[in-house]
Amino acid sequence: MKLKLIVALALGAVTTAAVAGDVEDQIRFRQSAYSFLGWNTAKIKAQAADHPETFNKDQVIAAANAVAAVANSGLLSLYGPGTDKGTGWKPTRLKPEFFEKQDEVKEIEATFIKEANELQKVAANGDAAEVKAQFGKVGATCKSCHDLIRVRE
Amino acid sequence: MKVEVHIWDWPLRLFHWLLVVAVVGAYATGKLGGNLTDWHARFGSLILGLLVFRLIWGFIGTTHARFANFFPTFSRLVEYVKGEWQGVGHNPAGAIAIIALLAALSFLAVTGLFANDDIAFEGPLFHSIDKELSDKLSGWHIYAVNILLGLVAVHVSAIVLYQRLKKTNLVGAMLTGKKQLPKSLAPSPIKPVGPFRFVITLLIAVTVVWSVWSGGFVNYLAPLASFQRATAHPKT
Repeated sequence: MKLKLIVALALGAVTTAAVAGDVEDQIRFRQSAYSFLGWNTAKIKAQAADHPETFNKDQVIAAANAVAAVANSGLLSLYGPGTDKGTGWKPTRLKPEFFEKQDEVKEIEATFIKEANELQKVAANGDAAEVKAQFGKVGATCKSCHDLIRVRE
Repeated sequence: MKVEVHIWDWPLRLFHWLLVVAVVGAYATGKLGGNLTDWHARFGSLILGLLVFRLIWGFIGTTHARFANFFPTFSRLVEYVKGEWQGVGHNPAGAIAIIALLAALSFLAVTGLFANDDIAFEGPLFHSIDKELSDKLSGWHIYAVNILLGLVAVHVSAIVLYQRLKKTNLVGAMLTGKKQLPKSLAPSPIKPVGPFRFVITLLIAVTVVWSVWSGGFVNYLAPLASFQRATAHPKT
């Protein structure tokens, strides 16, 4: 019984570490996630908004799938205690107030997931104008989080 | 005995009210984000063009539009503080506010050209500088908004105070171009503005905005910038 408990605790500790990692890992993972996100949003922006003549349905679907995957990946688990300071790939710009604004942050994440899922659905229809409109809604959720908890350069 | 005198020429008034529309539009679209960011860029371009127009008009426009005629020099400020200043255009205190407003807007318009939002916006000159510098300018752009809001608040409350305390209708003057002035000041009305100067000034303003967006010198830098991006290790 005691052994089982120890094993369970040990496993629990290992799993938590593997999921979240140490502070630097969390910062690098989330920075990488946003970088990958940026690659995909840039494609959608270019093909659906700036140069609709280059619209490629398959590429936009792939990009929208990636955006939705990032949104649904549980990004907030990469914002553990102490992750407002760290070098990461480059110094993190997370405001310390992040930890006091959990309600707002969770609400923004929920909106981000909802709009990204909708973008995925819309992309499947292959209409550039619809994609552009929905892409704007996703972008607005990015901004709401930047405005709230991201340090301005 | 008061007389009505023509003070503000029509290009100056048009500039002023278009600027009001553009600033309100840029502020609202900047706050809302999303696809309205495209409109933020359009309002910003309008502001840039208006500022170029105003700068030139400040040298070749009619009397009271010229910087030389209202620039808040030390002697004018001393006169004003003593209550001895006599004039019909911008008074020295108002002139400080106007120059500060124009400076803040110029800073916003220029930093905006190089800005990015790390979402889906890159200013037309973004690719001519490093991403890191662009990030800094983008941060300053947003800080400067607060300075602009402060200056707008001073500007608007001064107008309200003139209305309440001195019964001077400055808004009406900026709409009609005419001010009610004591006959003792006996200012001569401004000469009507000729279309030639207006057209030249407008052309220069439009050319500046157009060249910023169409590439101009950035076109020469673009291959270099994309080469740097392709070869550089991604930083984030």
